[in-house]
Amino acid sequence: MSLEYAKNDWYAVADGAVLERGPYKTQLLGTELTVSGPIDNPTVTDANGKRYPLQHRYSHVWTAIGDSPRPLFDIPEGDEPGRVLVPVGVVRVKCSPLRAVENFLDIAHFPFVHTDILGAEPHTEVVPYKAEIRDDLEEVWATQVKFFQPQASKSAGGGIITEYEYRVPAPTAAVLYKTCPPKPEFKDVIAIFVQPRSEEECDVWPWMALYDETSTYPELVQFQQEIFLQDRSILENQRPIKLPLDPKLEIPTRADMTSIAYRRWLKRRGATYGALTADA
Amino acid sequence: MRAGVGGKDVVVWRAENGEIAAWDNRCPHRGMALSHGFVRGNTLACLYHGWHYGSSGRCSYIPAHPELDPPATIHARQYSISEQGGVIWVSVDDDAEGTDLGLAPLRSFIVEAGEDVVIAACASTPLDGAVPVVLGNSRFQVAGDTLMALCNPIGRAGTQVTILTAPNLPVARRLTHSRWCEAMRRTAEQEAGK
Repeated sequence: MSLEYAKNDWYAVADGAVLERGPYKTQLLGTELTVSGPIDNPTVTDANGKRYPLQHRYSHVWTAIGDSPRPLFDIPEGDEPGRVLVPVGVVRVKCSPLRAVENFLDIAHFPFVHTDILGAEPHTEVVPYKAEIRDDLEEVWATQVKFFQPQASKSAGGGIITEYEYRVPAPTAAVLYKTCPPKPEFKDVIAIFVQPRSEEECDVWPWMALYDETSTYPELVQFQQEIFLQDRSILENQRPIKLPLDPKLEIPTRADMTSIAYRRWLKRRGATYGALTADA
Repeated sequence: MRAGVGGKDVVVWRAENGEIAAWDNRCPHRGMALSHGFVRGNTLACLYHGWHYGSSGRCSYIPAHPELDPPATIHARQYSISEQGGVIWVSVDDDAEGTDLGLAPLRSFIVEAGEDVVIAACASTPLDGAVPVVLGNSRFQVAGDTLMALCNPIGRAGTQVTILTAPNLPVARRLTHSRWCEAMRRTAEQEAGK
């Protein structure tokens, strides 16, 4: 594990909804924190009253507890006019934060875990796509990902072949760009910001930036929450709890190219908080 | 179903042709518990990505690559089993040797409590107003009938409990004891939660 590395990344630790209910107690990388105040002017403190830096971005409060945090990644679509920004709330999952991200990057499970929503038998094939570590951006990207979906999103009327792009801008965050049924020239943005409570437990904050003029806010939230709750039933039953980086421990196939790139990228960066490494 | 054997998490399942197998409870692909999977014909399919495994443990089908013949290296670790007296015995080390206990299996279930707590709950959970009598050798007299509790540790703090009764008990009596199992489980889990 590399706590030192992890401390210098930014993490979403609260949204407006939890702060409306008063000071919000939470945990980040094993440290107890309290987030207080309105979302546009909050404070983040630990049990000793020490204050941590924070930012308000993508509908969440972000903090870093290390001494020299790397810059928070950019999601330009979050600033595009016309998009509805939807913080989906928080889902507590007893799993490694890295397993939560890896599951988000996976499409082959759609027909089995999100049956009749994001996938359905017999449409189970994962056709070849492109996955790479982009050295210029220091990010993992998967492109040209195509999959048949019975109900790709709240605004999709019926089954369509959806096109996906995935982006991993930080070890515990992932962004998905997918075909947007009402506006094919634009892409819906769905992200997960994973807050590592410890190496074996995380709070997942899904967030969306959509062009959807028909669905109401509660409908959008309910749709995504249903998806994440289905994922949780998988994530809490994977063993070992930590993500193995040694490819011998879990056998991948061609459909797992994004996951292979992600694991390799984590290892290369030394971002091993929540990972099972040879020296652990 | 999920079972605990020698501290290991095991999946035990029966194929449509009646064959029973016991494996390490972990899909070799992404570590998902196979006990959450589903039986399709004579294969067990993982819930996560639907990979199929035949009774030898070998992966026979990967839905993401329908045309692919999966390499023989992809297989679930298989354990030895023996069926005796209506009970499936599993060994994770060598050949399983079953024992016919001369009792009828009633239920096998997982209790989120340690073995000591389970045994204490077996001794303290009343049935028909009477507290069980401890007979030793994991046996208890519960409302006049002899019950046996086989315990195996499972997970971080759980116990897989298999309850057996005297043979030839009438169905109504077995139902009564089945409800007692539920009460015993609640007692143990309440105690463990304290």
